[in-house]
Amino acid sequence: MTGKGKRERVALDRLADVLVDDILSASDEDILAEFKEAGGDPNQNAAEMRALFEKSVLASNKKRLAVAKAAVTASRRSPTAPAATPIDMAAARARLRAVVDTPGLPQKVTLAARKENELSDADILGMLEDLRELGVLPPDDSQDGKP
Amino acid sequence: MNSGQIATTRSRDEIAAAIRSLTAADLARLKMVARKYAFGRPIESDDLLQEAYVRALDSRACPSHVDVVKFLAEAMRSIAHGEAEKVEHKVTLVPIAKTGGPKDEASSIKDEADDAETRMIAAQQAERCIAVHAAVIALFDDDPTAQLVLEGMMEEMTAEEMRELTGLDKTGYDSKRKLIRRRIDKQYPEGWKP
Repeated sequence: MTGKGKRERVALDRLADVLVDDILSASDEDILAEFKEAGGDPNQNAAEMRALFEKSVLASNKKRLAVAKAAVTASRRSPTAPAATPIDMAAARARLRAVVDTPGLPQKVTLAARKENELSDADILGMLEDLRELGVLPPDDSQDGKP
Repeated sequence: MNSGQIATTRSRDEIAAAIRSLTAADLARLKMVARKYAFGRPIESDDLLQEAYVRALDSRACPSHVDVVKFLAEAMRSIAHGEAEKVEHKVTLVPIAKTGGPKDEASSIKDEADDAETRMIAAQQAERCIAVHAAVIALFDDDPTAQLVLEGMMEEMTAEEMRELTGLDKTGYDSKRKLIRRRIDKQYPEGWKP
């Protein structure tokens, strides 16, 4: 309503706000008396209002279920790649060097890793994985340079 | 709230439990509030109340310190204002950018038809607002003081300003407000529809 009737609309809105303030601050006795005076039955109203609330709970549950279903469907349709954890390759290389320098490792294990600076990142990670599987790689507390 | 307090909101279950434990007086109060906010709106009071219940459960955060009846009343107010704005703003909508495709023409015709219909609805609603505004004031033609208080309420005057204007003391003023509320309720038990 941009012109005609706007002043009246605003006035009626203000009236509604003031009347609601009065209703909210009135005593229970006054409210029940006014409700009866207007032809209402407070107990019947209470029963109807409670039933309406339970209906609203059902509607809300259905809505939540629909949202959950939609989310599951969307997730199945476009599976997102697992969040990649950034790998600190410098730390991974340092870790491999530290393992290789550990005395007592089988020569076969260390030979391949000695030219660490010539290996690609993928080779480094693959080698660390192999060493872990062999039980040679100690646990990494920092989780840097996975695996 | 001081810095030592933690702002908490009620969980969905807590809101549901609070609503289920409302007394008959609280529920009568809520019904009266719903009628007031449906007053002149394109929504029924029960629909307004049900939507407030759903929003209370699903989307609106209810701070723990806020009374649930007040919280639901505020939700109804917000919904009612939104409903009115839907009609008001629809009038000014224009078709969105055209792509030059064959569907453009059909879309435009439909939008214009909708627009014409909503213009007509808005115009009827405006006429009805003017009529009801006049009718509500006329309800107090026999009580010029109540009429003055009513008009003050519609103009956002404070209680002090109205008491000064009418010469009423606090008791007399409160009594007039109650009379106004009761007479409007009696005249429009279910509100009026635009």
